[in-house]
Amino acid sequence: MALIADSAAPPRDRLGRARALHGVLAGVLALCALASLQVGATDVTLTAMLGKLIGGEALSQMERVVLFDIRLPRLAMGVLVGAALAVSGAAMQGLFRNPLADPGIVGVGAGAGLGAILAIVLGALLPVWIINLVGNQLTPFAAFLGGWGSTILLYRVSTRHGRTSVATMLLAGIALGALAGALSGILVYIADDRQLRDLTFWGLGSLTGASWAKVFAAGPLIVLSIGAALVLGRGLNGLALGEATAAHIGIDVQRMKNVAILSVAGATGAAVAVSGGIGFVGIVVPHLLRLASGPDHRTLLLNSALLGASLLILADVIARVVIAPAELPIGIVTAVLGAPVFLWILLKRRGLVDL
Amino acid sequence: MLEARDIRVRYGPFEALRGVDLTARAGEVTAIVGPNGSGKSTLLGAITASLPHDGTVRLNGREVEGQKPWALAAQRAVLPQSSRLAFPFKVLEVVRLGLQSGTAGDRPEVPMQALARVGLAQYADRYFQDLSGGEAQRVMLARVLAQVWAPVEDGQPRWLLLDEPVASLDIAHQLQVMEIAREFARAGGGVVAVMHDLNLTALFADCVAVLSEGRLLAFGAPAEVMTDETLSLAYGCALRVSAPPPEGVPFILPHAALA
Ligand SMILES: Nc1ncnc2c1ncn2[C@@H]1O[C@H](COP(=O)(O)OP(=O)(O)OP(=O)(O)O)[C@@H](O)[C@H]1O
Ligand SMILES: [Mg+2]
Repeated sequence: MALIADSAAPPRDRLGRARALHGVLAGVLALCALASLQVGATDVTLTAMLGKLIGGEALSQMERVVLFDIRLPRLAMGVLVGAALAVSGAAMQGLFRNPLADPGIVGVGAGAGLGAILAIVLGALLPVWIINLVGNQLTPFAAFLGGWGSTILLYRVSTRHGRTSVATMLLAGIALGALAGALSGILVYIADDRQLRDLTFWGLGSLTGASWAKVFAAGPLIVLSIGAALVLGRGLNGLALGEATAAHIGIDVQRMKNVAILSVAGATGAAVAVSGGIGFVGIVVPHLLRLASGPDHRTLLLNSALLGASLLILADVIARVVIAPAELPIGIVTAVLGAPVFLWILLKRRGLVDL
Repeated sequence: MLEARDIRVRYGPFEALRGVDLTARAGEVTAIVGPNGSGKSTLLGAITASLPHDGTVRLNGREVEGQKPWALAAQRAVLPQSSRLAFPFKVLEVVRLGLQSGTAGDRPEVPMQALARVGLAQYADRYFQDLSGGEAQRVMLARVLAQVWAPVEDGQPRWLLLDEPVASLDIAHQLQVMEIAREFARAGGGVVAVMHDLNLTALFADCVAVLSEGRLLAFGAPAEVMTDETLSLAYGCALRVSAPPPEGVPFILPHAALA
């Protein structure tokens, strides 16, 4: 039998485009970072300060405080949180083989939220020595513990004999989210007025109150988790074919899933702890990148980190300037920007979300 | 050599395989046939170490159990009965996934060659999810071929383990795929294929295993195994080997295309 003759040239390579995007997005991130240092509630601008420095003048006390104690830690926190949310979104979507998965749905977000609400409403009941020990870090610390605990619980529920069932984990995550939501509701019911205001503000998500202390508290865990997630590219690509086939093409599926789960829990827990619930970054960023340069996780994860960080600090700039000198919670900005974009993508490219 | 000894698999209380032996030699196409639910896919799952099972499986003389996934992936590629793909990968990208392990990993031209081998080179830039059922199946075959592109590596045969490779293909592509399998075997590799088409099995298999209700009913060359008694017993209907149909009813056998 004669074989069908084929002489088609290889097609344009999306992987090359995705690699080029690393550089482009790094540039975008640098620009967003400069913008974030330039504008804020005060008239202090980066350009004016640079002009002074070049002219040999010293910065005023106020300029130094604004730059080094307010805007820089806020920028650092924005970069960390944005990258953490976007990378854990991409990793979770790869793990669940579902482009609509988000750390929110496996209960990490809900668990962290419950921890934070517990701290805000019942924190005063804790023994004095604990309050003295953690000080104003109580809420973020409790949020992190809640996220971590719920991940461990979920993992226990869905892992039998060293095998994690993604379906069980998804269902358990929904149940856990509902439970955490109900408990949070009860707590909100018994909260007083001041606590309610704190809760609302935390729940909307914000980078307000960023400090070097918070950056150093959450930073190491986020950096470690993102670093671990970045090596998952090959494994998540294989997993797109299903667990059995991923194993057949040489991937240690169980180990890969362990790393993915732990890094998602670490990054999301730490990010939620310092910034509250900032939605949409974890879903929109990986999705936009898949449309731009394909779903290959070897490039998607790093690109998500870069774009997520850029997007969050840009949203933070907007949150700071639209109603200056007051501030919008950043979660409102990401939702207002993210939700319509997301709906528009779904309408335009319905086929690509099809599973 | 691929040797499976006394393979037993349970799904809860249900015994899907009740002690099956299978020996497949490199250089040959070994077919596994049998009715729906007789345990063919389960046997392949045990051989590929993707199902918990009792009994031992040895590939090229080494026990499969306990070997690292990447070590196994360099020795054998597996085509599942059905595959779904999350995320909008393009055809060539899907075939490249096969490269992630095998020793063809440093040869970027292999995926296009594998696609050309299944007659789909001009589809490289299409989205996988837009393909027809048969095209998708052939792309998956190309991915599997790319993983073990050289049938012999370091003096050891490599293996293609195929679950119904021709299930949704037209007759010309059924022949094409079976020729690919035979060519792989003639070049020194080993092929184990689950088959439903008995004519293609008779044409291309060197050895046939007939499964029925989780047991091995017969094992041997097609001419020995494919008898009226064995097939009728296995499939539960009165089958006649090489009996022409009544006058006036057309019949089309793949044999004619190979003559
Ligand atoms: N995960 C499972 N849980 C319970 N029973 C199963 C499971 N997988 C397969 N079985 C049962 O085991 C038996 C063998 O299944 P298997 O998939 O091996 O059949 P098969 O010979 O490949 O059939 P087909 O020709 O339809 O592909 C069937 O009766 C099936 O219902
Ligand atoms: Mg089957």
